[in-house]
This record gives sequence, structure tokens and C-alpha cells, in this order.
Amino acid sequence: MKPVHQTANAVVQTKKPTIWLQMKKNYSAYLFLLPKLILFIAFIAIPVVWAFIISFQEYKIFGSEWAGLDNYIKVFKSDAFYDALGNTFLFTVVTVPFNVISALIIASLIHPLGKLSQSFFRGAFYLPTVTSMVIVAMVWRWMYNYDFGLFNYVLGWFGIEPLNWLGQSSSALWALIIMQCLIPFGVGIILYLASMGSISNTLYEAATIDGANSFQKWYRITLPLLKPSTLYLVLLSTIGSFQVFTQIIMMTGGGPGTATETLVHLIYKTGFRDFEFGFAAAQSVVLFFIILLFSIIQFRLLRYDD
Amino acid sequence: MKKWLSLFLISILVVGLLAACSKKENTTKDGGEDSEKEWTGTITVWDGPRWPDDKDNKFHWMESKIKEFEAAHEGVKVDLVQVPWAELPDKLGVSIAGQSWPDVAPVDISGSAVSIDHIEQGVIESVDDLFTEDELKDFYENALDAYTFDGKLYGVPNSLTVHAMLLNLDLFEERGVEPPANGEWTWDEFFAAAEKLTFDRDNDGKTDVYGFSTYILPGYYEAWPFFYINGGSPLNEDMSKFTFTEPEAVEAIQQLADLKLKHNVAPETLGGQDVGGTFQAWANEEQRTVAMQPWATWAISSAQTKYPTNFAVANYPTGKSGEPVTIGGVGGWTMFHQEDEGKKEMVGEFIKFISTTDEQFTMATEYGIFPARKSAADMDPYKDNPEMKRAQEMSSQVVMLPRHPEWKKIDEAIQTELQLVFNGEKTAEEAMKAAEKKVNELLGE
Amino acid sequence: MTSGIQKVNKLIIYVLLSVFAIVSLLPLYWVFSTSLQLSSYQDEELERQVSYVDSNPPKMYPVGITEYFEHWGKARDAESAGDAEAAAYHRDVMDYIIEDTFSGFTTLFNKNNVGIWFFNSFYIAVVVTIGILLFDSMAGYVLAKKRFPGRNLIFWSIIATMMIPGQVTLVPLFIMVRNFGIMDTHWALIFPDLAMVFGVFLMRQFMHSIPDELIDAAKIDGASEWKTYWKIILPLAKPGLAALGIFTFMNVWNSFLWPIIVLNDADLYTLPVGLKTLQDANLASFKLLMSGAAIASIPMIIVFMMFQRHFVKGLTLGGVKE
Repeated sequence: MKPVHQTANAVVQTKKPTIWLQMKKNYSAYLFLLPKLILFIAFIAIPVVWAFIISFQEYKIFGSEWAGLDNYIKVFKSDAFYDALGNTFLFTVVTVPFNVISALIIASLIHPLGKLSQSFFRGAFYLPTVTSMVIVAMVWRWMYNYDFGLFNYVLGWFGIEPLNWLGQSSSALWALIIMQCLIPFGVGIILYLASMGSISNTLYEAATIDGANSFQKWYRITLPLLKPSTLYLVLLSTIGSFQVFTQIIMMTGGGPGTATETLVHLIYKTGFRDFEFGFAAAQSVVLFFIILLFSIIQFRLLRYDD
Repeated sequence: MKKWLSLFLISILVVGLLAACSKKENTTKDGGEDSEKEWTGTITVWDGPRWPDDKDNKFHWMESKIKEFEAAHEGVKVDLVQVPWAELPDKLGVSIAGQSWPDVAPVDISGSAVSIDHIEQGVIESVDDLFTEDELKDFYENALDAYTFDGKLYGVPNSLTVHAMLLNLDLFEERGVEPPANGEWTWDEFFAAAEKLTFDRDNDGKTDVYGFSTYILPGYYEAWPFFYINGGSPLNEDMSKFTFTEPEAVEAIQQLADLKLKHNVAPETLGGQDVGGTFQAWANEEQRTVAMQPWATWAISSAQTKYPTNFAVANYPTGKSGEPVTIGGVGGWTMFHQEDEGKKEMVGEFIKFISTTDEQFTMATEYGIFPARKSAADMDPYKDNPEMKRAQEMSSQVVMLPRHPEWKKIDEAIQTELQLVFNGEKTAEEAMKAAEKKVNELLGE
Repeated sequence: MTSGIQKVNKLIIYVLLSVFAIVSLLPLYWVFSTSLQLSSYQDEELERQVSYVDSNPPKMYPVGITEYFEHWGKARDAESAGDAEAAAYHRDVMDYIIEDTFSGFTTLFNKNNVGIWFFNSFYIAVVVTIGILLFDSMAGYVLAKKRFPGRNLIFWSIIATMMIPGQVTLVPLFIMVRNFGIMDTHWALIFPDLAMVFGVFLMRQFMHSIPDELIDAAKIDGASEWKTYWKIILPLAKPGLAALGIFTFMNVWNSFLWPIIVLNDADLYTLPVGLKTLQDANLASFKLLMSGAAIASIPMIIVFMMFQRHFVKGLTLGGVKE
């Protein structure tokens, strides 16, 4: 770039053209981005911006009214919101680490196996995810059934009294948490396996020469190189977890009481049952900032060389 | 960085403005507006699957009606949109908010898909001009009532539903219990029956059959008549006060919950949230673990066809008020906001066409719902169906839910607290007091 | 060289994985088992029609299998005993068992529209998957490897939009689709799906690990941007692309709420939507429901089998000295 001994004036003057120059230099990058960007702006960015705008309005079919911060004040004043926040937070904080770590462990166990075994286990862990959450929720609701569900059946073997899993406030949310933990994180396992597949063998060979054992290889080579995938999975499952919805609708309706109420279920009711779209938008914006906060923290913690 | 931010936002705005500039479209194409000729164009009708024909087509009724109507009105085309019932509210909600509503939909105005709020915002057309005074007399009062708001009629009722007690007669026989004569009984008689019907069949120390069960879920009212039997009701006459905290109601609520909590004549799942599971426990031959359950009308035809059961229909037991009570609902057709007078008339014609006495009779016999027209009921659609007939007689006991604009939220506040009574975490009094706080806020708005 | 301890280790790993795999596969197994369960079978003991779909306690496998072989054995015995009538009876029962076991599937396939719905779901999923693989890898590549003004802004904007729950963007998106004139067409499904951003994020992460030296080497050799991308980056990203392909196909295949909202013409319905219109208001036949889920999952399983070959371990990154 410009030599340091240039006068301050000149430095200031050259700032502007530099950025344009940079843009011109990288015009191909913009071209590569273009198709995605156009689609993104039209079908995602604009609706999102719209939602932000609606959050400041009282949405009416034939012309919304401006409501300023009223919706936001309502959000912070509603007990239901805090109940949902607490539940959603607990759910996320338990299931995300569990799912990511278990995906890592399972992928690590599968990776060194022979081709056939790998294929088999990959299938075994990913295929269940092809069934939609709606069906999975039905199956689990059946498993938690008081009279003949699998869980109480198994408890019966050990002589333990059956539990009203989904019907008691103390157990309902935990039943959902357990369910989320036991559903294999197929996406995570596949992604980790794919990433492991890209790590060059030469790294491991060099380590073997240096006398490293399997665990050391895993800990010092594989794990750090998987950081980008880990970040992706942690971020995505956090975002997803904060938005947990289908299980609530299919299995508990938020009950008993507000024991399993979650943020997106609340938003859904506000928008689609009460038709208060402005209020729902405000709730979503607040949720957005909460998730954003979490994401920034995770990005910092899981930073890797850029 | 700031420069890019503003550039980015500007580009978003530009694209947004361009897109938004396309004015709100009329989703239907209008034909001629000559007041002499009939209106021509396309009408959009939504409906869900009904009963199948021999080709297993669950939309055949509406399709054949449409064909007839199109033949009678040249130039008019009717588009049928097949919507699954469970998703109808969501699809309708988005379509309304996105200003792309259909012309006709099979919904009521109680708030499950469309609410008073929509009426107030002008989304629903009033159908006052559709029928003459005399013609209206053919409809049951409470059916019309359920579609009336602020003195105007906002839909054409097609069916009435009631909630009734379904009794498994095989179990009654097994235990030597007499079912109530003519379906009438008091709470004490009902309780005595429940006790006898709770038993351990194979002597393994585990109760195999329970006397009674039901579930508690916002939007569902199978259990509610039990709360009314001592004279209680959720809101007072002018809907200004929450009255489930009154002793009549609190007693009745606790009484029902105590069937499980104190007397063990109801299973652990009483007051849970599993609708399908609760029904299976009563109807499914492989289970039959509960003798008596309250259900809405659809369950009667299910218990006759899909899960054949030897059963009888009975009233809810009477309480201190002495009168049997049940909760009912109404189904029918609503017309959505129309810009064109000619089209509005045509849509009205269509709705009339599908709600005639004959159609309602057909629906009653094939689809298992009670007609909203007296003339259709007079045609005795259930002469061969004693259970449906019995249930239909209960229409006179029907109490409708309060038609408060915020009812959905009020209902949720009440039902979520009720769930905590039935799983033993709160007493009825505590729960209703907690609900009172939330409901008063809603009533105050 | 596998020593004794290593063999034991391997065994433990297999056992552990198998246990997890069983837990993982249970719901999927249940779906298939229920879809093939006997739903109206004459039980000789109980002397009535029985449905094993809702048994209490539940049957963990399609009962038809054992019943079939039982009757086959009885038919054989009857034949050798010379009792033609009994043999014929047992054979009839065997036929009936087959019919009832598959009744869920035959009911669904007899509906004319199921074929159309299947086709719709399929081609839309294919189109979107190809589009996403192309656009997302292009975008992910430059976001990972190129430095240009606005890079971080774009990346963070993209991530940020994932944090808004879809329920609230339904209405604005609906209005957008209506304004673009694509309501009630397959474009209303394809375009918003192509805009999905989780793939861009995924590709960016994946491509981070591609050594810069390769790209520089290509540049020195005079390759254009496109050539670099097409010939060098893409092949190296195969595992990531395979993963993304599977995820995308699955997302599109299973998408349900949005298609119901924007499609009105029954001929345009995708499979999940169409199957739903076959269900009654109140109680779906569980077996029918599971049969629908089973049918819907089969193409997914096939796509998965096809794509997973590309997760090859130890891709050689030839041409670079470590």
C-alpha cells in the first residue's frame, strides 16, 4: 500500500478510491455471490425487514396503525413470555451441548471403521432424520404414554412406578429434553464425518511417526481441525433449539399449565390464534436479539484462524 | 462500514418498494359488471375432506355440487381448494393477513379459524340479505346465534354439534350396572356407576378398567359441561366478570378432578393433553380401559364405523341446578369480503345452494353431523341411528360458549390452570384464582 | 497390526455404536412396522377382528410375518394329512394376511393423485438441491476465501436472518410471493427454498479448510476465477457438497406448512400436503398415517444411499507439499 511517510492529507484522500479499487479488483467475488444474494434479498431479507417494521405497528388487514414501542412494552410485561423464555433457555442449554458432543463422539467412533461398517452406521444415524418431526413427535408421544408407552414399560421391569411423563409440570419439560437428546443428531454426525473425510492422511501419518497414540491424534489433530464444523453445528442447533415448536404443538400444547411453553409456540399463538401480527413480530425481534447474543458469544468462544 | 450498511439497506428498500408497488390484487378475475346480466367470473371455495364415494374421493360432494352450480350459472366458474382440516386455520390466517382470502370457507366465527376481530376489521361479509325472515325461521335459534355479531348474521350455519356422554354398554353389562334410563342421571348416580365400573379384571392387583376419563386442552370442551352442572359458568351474563371462581364452579371442577385424585375411578391420564390416546382408550377394541367418556358428535359415528362399539349416548349428569347441560358448537359457511356487488350476490347464491334442506340432510346421514335446519332435522336423518338421534335430542340442552372477542386467550388462561388441577398440582380454588388474574386483564381490554 | 487390546477396543466400539444405532433407528423402525401391521385380522382365540396397530401392550413387529408362517406350516400339515379343505383354508388366510399387511400402501397408491404428488415433490426437491449446491458453494467459497468490502456484513446478515422464527416471516413472504405473481405455482416453493441460507454457512465453514496455496497455485497457472472454482474447489468440497445435498433434499422433501399455504391447485400439491388431504378431521388411521410417512421416506433413503459414497476418508490433496 502507500508508503507511511506520505502526508496525512494524502492518506485521507486516498482512502476513498481504495475501497472502490478493492471492489473492482474483487468483482468476480460479487458475481459469485449474486445469484444467492438476489434470492436472499427477495425472499428472506425483505420479509425479515418487513417483520421488523410490523413489530412497530398494530397490524390490521386494511391498513395497519402505528404503535411505536407499545408491542415491545407488552412483550416485556407479559408473564407468558418469561415462562416461555425460561423453558426455552433450559431446553437449549441442555440439549445443544449434549447433541453436538454426542455427534462428535459417534462420528469419531465411526470414522476409523471399514467402508462397509461406515456406510451402515452413517445410514443408521442419519436416516431417522428423514422422518419429519411431526411423525417423530407422534412416536415419542406414544412412547411416553402412561399406560403402555415404552418408557413406563421399561420402568416396570425395574419395579418402578409408572410416571405421568407429559402430564406433570415437574417432568414434562424434561421429557421433551430427554427426547431431544435421544434423537440422534444425524446432521451433526454426517457433517463431522464429512469434515473428517477431508483431513489429509499425511497429518496423521506424520503424527504416528512422532509416536502419537489414537487419542492424542484425535485430540490434537482432528478436534482442532473440526472447529469450523463445530461452530456451525453449535450455532445452528442453538438457533434451532431456541425455536423449538413442533414437539410442543404435537405433544403438549404448552401444558400442563405453562410447563412446556416455548417462545416460538407463544409467537405462533399470538400470530395465528390471536391474529396480533404486530405483537408477534415484536416477540420475534426480541427472540432474535436473544439468539444473536448467544451466537456472538459462541462465535468468540469457537474462533479459529480466519 | 457505515457506507456499506446504508447502501445495503437502500438496495433492500428499493427492491422492497418495487415489489410492494404491485397493488393489492384481486385474486379472482371479474367478469362483466352489467347489472342486467348475471355476474360471471371465478369463485374460490375452500373445503376439507368429507365422506368418500366409491372411488374413495373425499371431495366428491363439493365437486358434484360445484358442477351443478356451474351448469346452472353460465360463465361462473368455481375453484375448489382442497385443504386438510388441521391446517385450515393456519392457511386461512396467512391468506387473510396477506389479503388473499377465498370467497367461501367452511368455518365458524368462534375464533378457531376466524374471529370477531376479523369481522370488526371488515374481512367477513354479512349475509343478512341472503335469507328472508321466514327462511331464517327454518334454522335453529342457537345456530343462527352462533353466527351473529352485533345484530348481523355473518355466515350460514350448516351443522350443530353437541358434546355427549358415551357409555360402553359391554362394560356396563359385565359389571351389572344399569345405564341411565333415557340417558338422564344425576351426579350421584353417575358417580356410583363410575365406582362399579372401575375394576381389576384379572386380579393382578392392577386396575384394568376405569369408570371415566377425559382430557383438558385449550379449545376443547368435552369436560366443561361438568363445570356447569351446579350453575357455574366462566363469565357472567354481560361478559364483564370471571365467574369460574364462584363456589358453584369451583366445587364442580374439584369434584371432577377428585374422581382421579381421591376416588381412583379415573385413570392417571384424566386431564391430560392426549386427545387421540384418550379416545383409543375407550373405543379401541384392544384397549377398552375406560367405560365412560364425553365426546363431540364426530365420536359417535367413529364408534359406529371405525371402532365399532356397543355403546349408548347419555346426557351429562345433572348437578345442583337439576338441568342437564351440554356445550355445543356450530359449523357452516362464511363469505369473505367482496369488492364487487355482482360477485357478492353470486357467492351468496352458491352458499345458499350448498346449505339447502336436502344438502343438510345428506350431510347428516353421510357425514354424521346434526343439521342446522329444522326442516332437515324433521326429515329424520337418524331414524335408523338411535345413538345419533339421542345425541341430537340434546341440542336443546346446549349452552354456547361466551362470544367474547378475547375468548381464545381467556380459554387458554382457564384451561392451562385446569390442567394443574387435574394433575393434582393445585386445588380448583387456587387454579381459578390464578386464572382470574389473567382473565380480568383480558376482560378489561 | 491389531493387537489383542486393539481387537477388544474395536469390539467395544462396535457394541456401543450398535446400541446407539438401535436407539436411533427405533422411531423409523416403528413407522415401517406400523405401516405393515395387520389391521383387521380374524383372531381365532378372541373370535373377532383384531387390529394389531393399537395393541396394548404394543406389538413390536408386523404380526403378519409370524401368522403367515404359522398358517403356511398348518397348510403343509393339512396337505400331508390329505385334508384338502383345511389346506385351502390356510392358504386363503395366507393370501389375506398379505393383503391386509400391505393395505396401508395399496390404499394410498390407489389414489390417483399420489403419483402426481410424488412426482411434484421429487422434481422440486431435485431442482432446489441442484440450485442450492451451485449457488451456496459459489457464495460459500468467496465468503471463505476472498477478502472484499462488505464480506462480513453479508455473512452476518445471512446468519442473522436464521434467528428470526419462520412463523413471523410467513405473512410478509406470502405477500411477496403474491406480488411477484407466483402464488399457487411451483415457483412459490422453489424460489424461497433456493434462498435458504444454512447451506451458505455450511459451505463457508467447509471451504475454510481448503489450503490457500492451491488457489494461489491455480492463479499463478493463469486459471480464471470460474475455472478455479469449478476444477479445484468443487472436487475438494465433495464431502461438504454431499452433506449439503442430503440436507437440502430432505428439507425440501419434508416441507409441509409453506406448500399448504401457497398452493391451492390439488394437482400441484407435494406429497406431504396431498397425503394430509386424505385424512379425516378427527382421527387419522394410524396405519395409514405411518404408511404415508413410510412412502415419503423411501426416496430420501435412496438419495442418502447415493450421496453418501462421497464421504470418502482421506481425500488426497495432490500437488501440495506439506
